[in-house]
Amino acid sequence: MMDTKIQAFFADKQDLLSEILERYPDYGQRSAVMPLLRAVQDAERHVSELRIKEIADILGISATAVKGVMSFYSTYHEQPVGKYHIQICSTLSCSLAGSDEMYDYLANELDLVNGETDKDGQFSLQKVECLGSCTTAPVLQINDDYYENVGKKRCKHLVDSMRENKLEKPWRERKGDHEGAEKAKPLQKTALKGVS
Amino acid sequence: MDNITSRHDPRFEVTMYKYMGVENSHKLDFYEQHGGYQTAKKALTTMQSVDIVNEVKASGLRGRGGAGFPMGVKWSFMPPVDGRQRFIVCNADESEPGSTKDRFVLEDDPHQLIEGMIIAGYAIQATLGVIYIRGEYHLGYTRLYDAINEARAKGYLGKNVLASNFDFDLILHRGAGAYICGEESALMNSFEGYRANPRLKPPFPAQAGVYGFPTSVNNVTSIASGVHIIAKGADWFKSMGTQDSSGFHHVQISGPAVRRGVYEVPMGITYREIIFDLAGGVTEPVKAFIPGGSSCPMFPFTDEYLDLTMEYGVVAKAGSMMGTGGIILIPEDKCIVDALANVVHFYAHESCGKCTPCREGVSTWLPKMYAKLLAGLGESGDLELLEDVSHNIRGRSFCPLADACIMPVQASIKHFRHEYEYIIEHGKSMYAKKSRWQE
Amino acid sequence: MKVKVNGIELELAPGTSAIDAVFAAGSDVPYFCSHEYMSPVGSCRMCLAKIGAPRKDRATGNWVLDEETGEPQIFWFPNPMATCTTAIMEGMVIETEAEEAVKAQRGMVEMTLINHPLDCPICDKGGACELQDRAYEYGEGISRFEFDKRHQEKHHQLSELITLDRERCIHCKRCIRFFEEVPGDEVLDFIERGGHTYIATVEEGLESNFTGNITDLCPVGALLDRTSRFKGRNWEYEHTITSSLDDASGSAIVLDSRTGRLERIKAELNTQVNKLWIDDSTRFGYEYVNSSERIKTPLIRKGDNLEAASWQEVSEFIADKLAKLAQKEAAIVLRADSTLEEGYAAKNLAKILETGQIDHYPRQLASVIPNNSASLNDLASSDAIFVIGDVSQNVPIVDLRIKDALKGVAPPEMFEHGVPIADLRLKERMIRKKEILTVAAPYNVDLMRHAGQAHIYEANSEEAIFKALTKIANGEDSSVAAMSNEQAEALVKRLNEANNAIIIYDGFSLASPAAAIAARNFANAVGAKEIILGQMANSYGLEAIQVLPSHERYGYAEIMQGSAKALIISELNPANNSQYAQNLKELELLVVHSIFENETTALADVVLPAKSGYEKQGTIVNLEGRLLEVNAAPIDAGQAQDFEFLAASIIAALGKEGKEDLASLAHKAIRKQFGVDSKKLDPEGDLKPLKPRANNKAKLHIQSTNIGNALIVPTMLRLEYIDKNPHLLAERGAAKLTMNSIDADANGLKNAEIVSLDVAGIKRSFSVQIKDSVPAGLWLIPALPEQAIGLLELDRASLKKELEPA
Repeated sequence: MMDTKIQAFFADKQDLLSEILERYPDYGQRSAVMPLLRAVQDAERHVSELRIKEIADILGISATAVKGVMSFYSTYHEQPVGKYHIQICSTLSCSLAGSDEMYDYLANELDLVNGETDKDGQFSLQKVECLGSCTTAPVLQINDDYYENVGKKRCKHLVDSMRENKLEKPWRERKGDHEGAEKAKPLQKTALKGVS
Repeated sequence: MDNITSRHDPRFEVTMYKYMGVENSHKLDFYEQHGGYQTAKKALTTMQSVDIVNEVKASGLRGRGGAGFPMGVKWSFMPPVDGRQRFIVCNADESEPGSTKDRFVLEDDPHQLIEGMIIAGYAIQATLGVIYIRGEYHLGYTRLYDAINEARAKGYLGKNVLASNFDFDLILHRGAGAYICGEESALMNSFEGYRANPRLKPPFPAQAGVYGFPTSVNNVTSIASGVHIIAKGADWFKSMGTQDSSGFHHVQISGPAVRRGVYEVPMGITYREIIFDLAGGVTEPVKAFIPGGSSCPMFPFTDEYLDLTMEYGVVAKAGSMMGTGGIILIPEDKCIVDALANVVHFYAHESCGKCTPCREGVSTWLPKMYAKLLAGLGESGDLELLEDVSHNIRGRSFCPLADACIMPVQASIKHFRHEYEYIIEHGKSMYAKKSRWQE
Repeated sequence: MKVKVNGIELELAPGTSAIDAVFAAGSDVPYFCSHEYMSPVGSCRMCLAKIGAPRKDRATGNWVLDEETGEPQIFWFPNPMATCTTAIMEGMVIETEAEEAVKAQRGMVEMTLINHPLDCPICDKGGACELQDRAYEYGEGISRFEFDKRHQEKHHQLSELITLDRERCIHCKRCIRFFEEVPGDEVLDFIERGGHTYIATVEEGLESNFTGNITDLCPVGALLDRTSRFKGRNWEYEHTITSSLDDASGSAIVLDSRTGRLERIKAELNTQVNKLWIDDSTRFGYEYVNSSERIKTPLIRKGDNLEAASWQEVSEFIADKLAKLAQKEAAIVLRADSTLEEGYAAKNLAKILETGQIDHYPRQLASVIPNNSASLNDLASSDAIFVIGDVSQNVPIVDLRIKDALKGVAPPEMFEHGVPIADLRLKERMIRKKEILTVAAPYNVDLMRHAGQAHIYEANSEEAIFKALTKIANGEDSSVAAMSNEQAEALVKRLNEANNAIIIYDGFSLASPAAAIAARNFANAVGAKEIILGQMANSYGLEAIQVLPSHERYGYAEIMQGSAKALIISELNPANNSQYAQNLKELELLVVHSIFENETTALADVVLPAKSGYEKQGTIVNLEGRLLEVNAAPIDAGQAQDFEFLAASIIAALGKEGKEDLASLAHKAIRKQFGVDSKKLDPEGDLKPLKPRANNKAKLHIQSTNIGNALIVPTMLRLEYIDKNPHLLAERGAAKLTMNSIDADANGLKNAEIVSLDVAGIKRSFSVQIKDSVPAGLWLIPALPEQAIGLLELDRASLKKELEPA
């Protein structure tokens, strides 16, 4: 194969490899398959067949088994994603807060369709299922970070800052008990009957 | 004295969520300054493991992951100690649409969970704990990763925890995007490095769990509740809620509410109080609410349902489930067929493909039926077909995922049949699509 | 336990699955994912039934009674239950025909079919398809699914032997489970999830010796055997159940033939031997029988040419020549997979010819008949196994039965409907008790992956190892080559303490009588039973009936070196050995009974067309000492005949016919020797293990030596036919010469390079395979029928490179 000249991923990362393997008991080394896939993807934005084989060899299991596991999950990628991998939560709460429109906006703005990476490898766009940020919908996950309560202005701002390679860390803006006991106190006392 | 069943009750105090949103709440220093690890110390040095199981049993705490199985009873299913490795597993794969209560514990108060794990591990005499956190929770993962290292460095984890005779350590394992991992046996498969298909039961985890060893799998806020139950006693916990459902729970309100967010509430509270008093009411007319995450059948937004008290039995009797406490409000002019298409899409995407009704029914047929209806191509008989196929799926699948999809479908037809009939008859939704994307 | 199925009361053992209860009651329920000998997984959801059970009052411990009837009240499960994963309970009521069960089954058929292409008219599985049958029996007959079906690859070649149609797959997971649960090779898995799930392998080909079984298991036409693809419809085939002559297991197989051609081999159930599995050589190694190159008529030498003749003509010619010979001048040699009937025929012919020059080959110095024989089901229930040699290549089924033992689940009890459909003791990914298995061999063998302990020892040290272990067993100090003292002691202790210890050895230990004696002594010392792996299908039987020389002067090697003036040889090609070819040329008569022309037929005076193992009728004895029936499929083999016919023709031409024909003599002899009626054998064979005789005195050409630089090793492939088995050849490649990279470098060899080599007189061609698990200095050469397993000294100077690797 042509690829054999590429150095093994973990060849120069023995510390990382042993740190991952040591997390699990001797009889459970196979558990390391997910963190190993993750480590490769974090560095290479996807996991190639060659890396699948490398992980299989490390764990003494078949490459088929590794591929079976990898393909089961939605966050491992066989093809490289962009430097900014933009994931739009599309499930009910986000959808009710406008995530469909947000997707349309981003798709249009970045000229990408769901699952596509641009030719420069800068952006990729993916509709994802519930990210667990329903109370701060709509939410974007850009690479690892959650951007919550993304309105139109914020969305545009995020696109601009990514284009300028100046994406800032996420803000935090949460209601409910996050605001502290005082602020989270009941706002009103409802009548027992009658909803208007 | 009456039990606390309202946040208006002046006796109610936020406990688990007390430090959410406070700066540096995720750090060990902060946690220690606020009494952190004192409960674990009390448990490990002054209590027998059986005392802890009994205290949790007495508290009546029911699993907060959705199924509502009493945690103390689950713990008591563990076989007698026989020298084999035992595991306590924390299910932090929070993925049920509408749910976000665990995430903030993981991000903002990871030590509380670690302390809960130490106590739970000691209770079932498991020297290894696993926290399975969903892959997307990156901040939660990094904070928990750091917190575990902090705790280990301070002797809260490792050999002779807190100078007791008990050894305990944690394995933090990260998922990679699969809702099914919230099902405990699928979670164990995933953790072990296999495809996350649910396992056959029996054997149950207590008999053969992680790596075949006795295991108990519990939700994040269940485990963390254990800290407070041990700290303040079962009676304190039972002073909240009702006979059927004791203690506090976390409701998470999304959809058109004034103050969407997570609220710690005493069980027995009414949905009206949650939606109107805590969340401040609705921003637009609402026709239905989902009481506990998307798999729970929706209730019409009427007095009858708003006045239901948040109790496992009450909600079940009314035809739905307590679930995770993730309340989703559905606006009056949101087409119910469209809303359900979204829900169905979620379960279709998350079906593991193991069993026929879920793979072919939920993951293949239902989304196509919904797409047909939404495209305005519905024909007479389609609704009956949808109902019949739903009937053929429900209760026939290997694990509850298919039912989690079918139950909301059936509830939507039950309460909003006219919207389905309308879309079939008119070739378009009763309500036009409307953008709710805020500026 | 009492259960009631569709109104019929039954008494069944606890642990029985509800689906087996249904079948035990004579009822039926459809299923696709459950399969005999594999774990029930409950994934197809077809076997749904309405199930209920009585309940005991917690306080009183008494049954809760129905107020009206006074009988225990039946509490019904709220949903229809999958019977395959439900264990029966006392008083359980199972209704497969209840309205809700029928509705559930119909709904499930409909869903199973929504993505299935229903291309039955062009599907090889048509007419023998579980999905087709069950959809017909339990389906509505009409689908309400109006959308496009899932489109996926229809001709995905998983290997040269197996093709996959992804559209037909119904995701029952039998194939994936098979690989994990049975051979323990995870070479196939589901990829993706939900409605996108499909099966695939990332490995090149399917690396397992048992891949073909998935084509039998597949309940639809998704996985198909490429050797038989498009060759015929199931209803056109003649199905002949027989025992395979491929190796010493005598595995049960079905021969599917049509218009005189053998088109497919499938596994047949033999609960005692191979269960439902066969290895790939047994399944795919048949294509040679349809070869146009087969010898179809008797041939007689006319000058330089062989010309067609009739059996009568050539028999008279042979008889004329033989009549002129004195006593002891004629010789007869059979291949070691000849039937007992052929063996008796050879013996009778030898008697008439008054010669003791008779033998079978390949055969080793020591006996293949154990002192204290274990059956394969004993093996599957064993709690301590010591293997010395290469089981997986010798007799692959033994490899699988060892893996049964690792699961710690004894062979199941049978029902009237057969093997349990859902044996609830079996689980997916069972924890294997590796610690019960120790494997030692002179090189890295496949089974070592599954062993608690694995040891690679210096070739030819079997005797020393067994002797040292025996000493330890007797409480004496000793050290065992390649094992630490702790390991050796642990092994002996485990074997000693086991209830059912078994020692398995093969040709490596039989090459020297001393090693074989040492093996037996060790087995005695630890109270273990033995399984000895003969090199061929009837090695045991032919030795048992003494198709053996009367004197060591008359063994195979001596015959080939000129001890006889006339030779009748069946199915062996000794002239491939240049050292023998000259002797064979000088014979006054050379009669060669063969399927194909070869170096030996080229020297023959008479060539007689031989039947393949699929065309013979007769009896063999497998390595357990089990007599098994061999049946003939209707294959057009011209005038090919077995050795019994050959012997009878010659005897007739000699005018020496007795009162009884050879067939009835063999029938009587088998009854006398084994105590069974060979015409009424049990379909699973009759287990009649014999006590061994003293070690055979005959001298063989492979001497027992302590030195050597090459090892003839067992191979599951029949290399004599591999060139005419195109699919198997394409998948497994030509014969391999395996060596360490040190040896490869020293000889300038690369992987896959084609070389020729003189192997003790036989010029052979190999593809080089470099494996560092082979000890440096030792070259591994797969056996031919003319070369028994063992160490030999190779003339490495004869190595020639034939071709550069592609």
